[in-house]
Amino acid sequence: MAGATITAYAVYLPGYALSTTDFRAEAGSGGRRARSVAAHDEDAVTLGVEAGRRLDGAARDVPVLHLATSEPPYLDKSSAATVHAALALPASVAALDLTGLRAGAGALRTALAAGGLAVLADRRTDAPGAPGELAQGDAAAAFAAGPDGPIRLLAAASGTVELLDRWRAPGAPHPTVWDERFTAGILRDRALDAAARALADAGLGRADHVVVACANPRAAAAARAALGGGADAEVEGLTGYTGAAHLGLLLADALDRARPGETVLAVNAADGADAFVFAVGEGLEAARCGPRVRDQLTGRVPLTYDRYLRWRGLFTVQGPNRPDPAPPAAPPMERRRAWKNALVAVRCTKCAAVTAPPGRVCAGCGAHDALRPEPLRDLPCTVVSLTEDLLAVGPDGPTVQAVVDVEGGGRRSVHVADVPEGGLAVGDVLRPVFRRISSTQGVHNYFWKARPMEKVRHG
Amino acid sequence: MAKGLGDRVAIVAMGCTPFREHWDKSADDLLVDAVTECMDGVPGLALDDVEAFWVGTQGSGMSGQTLAKPLGLRGKPVTRVENYCATGSEAFRNAAYAVASGAYDVVMATGVEKLKDSSFSGLTATWPPSDGTDVEWTAPGGFSLLAPAYRARYGLTERELRDALTHIAVRNHANGALNPKAQFRKAVSKEAVERSPRIAGSLSVMDCSGVADGAAAALIVRAEDAHRYTDRPVFLKGMGFVAGNGDGLSTDGYDFTTFPEVVQATAEAYAQAGVTRPREQIDVAEVHDCFTPTELVLMEDLGFAERGRAWADIVAGSFDRDGAVAVNPDGGLKSFGHPVGATGLRMFYECFLQLRGAAGDRQVPGARLAVAQNLGGQPGSCVAFTAVIGNEAP
Repeated sequence: MAGATITAYAVYLPGYALSTTDFRAEAGSGGRRARSVAAHDEDAVTLGVEAGRRLDGAARDVPVLHLATSEPPYLDKSSAATVHAALALPASVAALDLTGLRAGAGALRTALAAGGLAVLADRRTDAPGAPGELAQGDAAAAFAAGPDGPIRLLAAASGTVELLDRWRAPGAPHPTVWDERFTAGILRDRALDAAARALADAGLGRADHVVVACANPRAAAAARAALGGGADAEVEGLTGYTGAAHLGLLLADALDRARPGETVLAVNAADGADAFVFAVGEGLEAARCGPRVRDQLTGRVPLTYDRYLRWRGLFTVQGPNRPDPAPPAAPPMERRRAWKNALVAVRCTKCAAVTAPPGRVCAGCGAHDALRPEPLRDLPCTVVSLTEDLLAVGPDGPTVQAVVDVEGGGRRSVHVADVPEGGLAVGDVLRPVFRRISSTQGVHNYFWKARPMEKVRHG
Repeated sequence: MAKGLGDRVAIVAMGCTPFREHWDKSADDLLVDAVTECMDGVPGLALDDVEAFWVGTQGSGMSGQTLAKPLGLRGKPVTRVENYCATGSEAFRNAAYAVASGAYDVVMATGVEKLKDSSFSGLTATWPPSDGTDVEWTAPGGFSLLAPAYRARYGLTERELRDALTHIAVRNHANGALNPKAQFRKAVSKEAVERSPRIAGSLSVMDCSGVADGAAAALIVRAEDAHRYTDRPVFLKGMGFVAGNGDGLSTDGYDFTTFPEVVQATAEAYAQAGVTRPREQIDVAEVHDCFTPTELVLMEDLGFAERGRAWADIVAGSFDRDGAVAVNPDGGLKSFGHPVGATGLRMFYECFLQLRGAAGDRQVPGARLAVAQNLGGQPGSCVAFTAVIGNEAP
């Protein structure tokens, strides 16, 4: 595994932050700490898709994709396969799921060992009122590994310990935590042991950048202090611990800050520990895809606690008496897989009009079977008309739906995600985003919504 | 274009239940009530003399047995049809073609919907299994797209558009207040319309038609036989129907200020009926005011107003009962609510009464030519029906 490289990396932080669990407080008026919050229609799959699509072409030439999360939307069915489909990866690429708080380190390790794409995505929910409620968070990171990247793995080491520190049975909404003062020492020791072995293998006494991902904040702080780190705690203080994604989030932030010639030690402590030592070379800028982690921390929308609880399904509100949306059916999903998963419409070879959803007849000129695939996934679109529907109330109040024209041709009816406070207007520009449309009868209906273009700075 | 049925078929009797929350009646009961009233209009004719039947319903029954069972029909062909909110019109259209073809001499078109039993808010529908990628627009959501688009295209202020939409609601409710068969029989003030809770986009509850139960029926015969049944028959002069292909929602170009399908169906109906100056020639129009912006746009699509000017004509009273064209003199969907399968035939019912001079307090004096216009679906992807009927014999 030593000698393998990271060829590209990206992080997606959802656009919302919660800083208080006080019902009486205004959004954003809590302490200095905050947690990152996924929107009501985001989960590990959609977060992972957003991180993965930022890698763009760098993610295509891989033999395998691993999705790491502690909250997979499905147990029997693969969630990695949905990410694979939304990223429009070739069918020959394997897609495998890893679960648990160690899964992020596992995905990274596997990608580095064999070349591949590691998508780390998590949505964390401690119980309302739990001491760590604000200390959990949501994020996704993606790493493509291959032989010729600028971020070279010098050494890696692992250790395992069976420890009842934080657990959640399938279906349980929240984790349960053992006394953190007891488990902190054990996790700290495992982290330091793995780090020491990795540094020794790398021939280093210490690293220029140190990140420690651990659900136990005492263990993380102690390990950081011992290893000479701490800058990663600044990010963690504004995102919370992001579960299986956290190692990736903190490593990406270190890479954002590292200069060629420097080294990075990244440690994940969960059920033992995994440590990685990287040497950063020239070409780091090219490997960074999408905005820097710290740039994504600016401009997030502050959330009120009640809105957060509604999004998480912890606080239900009576809506209009309407039937549940029907779940999608497998055969039509399969027949329209390119549209459903990767937003591939069709363009007419006779008149050039784009027809969406795709059919066999051009909506522009009526030509039959003269259409070729036209991906709309990465094209901006402009609002033609829109409405806020109070009869169709969802987890975030009235739904916003729009008709949009796609740049270069094509029209869609869309659900709008992440609607800004001032609303939207005709002429606003949106971009497609993969979200959960609904969940009925245990089926998650994923499809492409549209959201306002980000104003985040791209570093 | 279809070969017209102008002056080949006639309506000789109609029935229509009150549109209500009929908690004490089933769809079967409503059909029996509407058919009974219809048959009462032709003494001497028995139900067994009717040769074929059509029943329109969106979700209150399956197959022709929806009608055959409650009426106890024996050995009769009954066809169930569905075409969104134009379902009642579709029943009429098919029945009319059956007579015009020579297959039958006496047929009946019926329509029914029982919506209140569901307890759901607004209209709902059951769709075939899908891939889950279509936006499930609610009716108010879909039709609310008309308002911002119309306002933007013609440069109206919010107040100007609001005045027109409010006028439509106030006028239709004032008309409905005169109609014993309407669900809502109370005139409403401008303030009441504008203070009501918002539903979708800029539409409030009072911009939307209600939900109701109801049924209606029409007896259709050969034009040349019409006077055998009544001394005041009404003749079909022209009829057009278009099932849009949905291109307004699937490719760019459509701007949400018109219903192209209505324009096409109306052009066909007018051509068959010889209508060239609709605002002067049409006395009464029952139009599909499912939402107030729908009626606004329809005034232009039906040729009653210049493009971009309907809002001003509406406010000026041009479509009030004493205006250039009396639009929705029965109160429209606004006052009746919208039992989907029955609405199209309810529109014919009012035109039938007006053309026979039997509309009582809301009678438009000297009405000779009427339009019944009905649509379903949503802007950009709709089905549209327009008929012209008159009281002058061929």
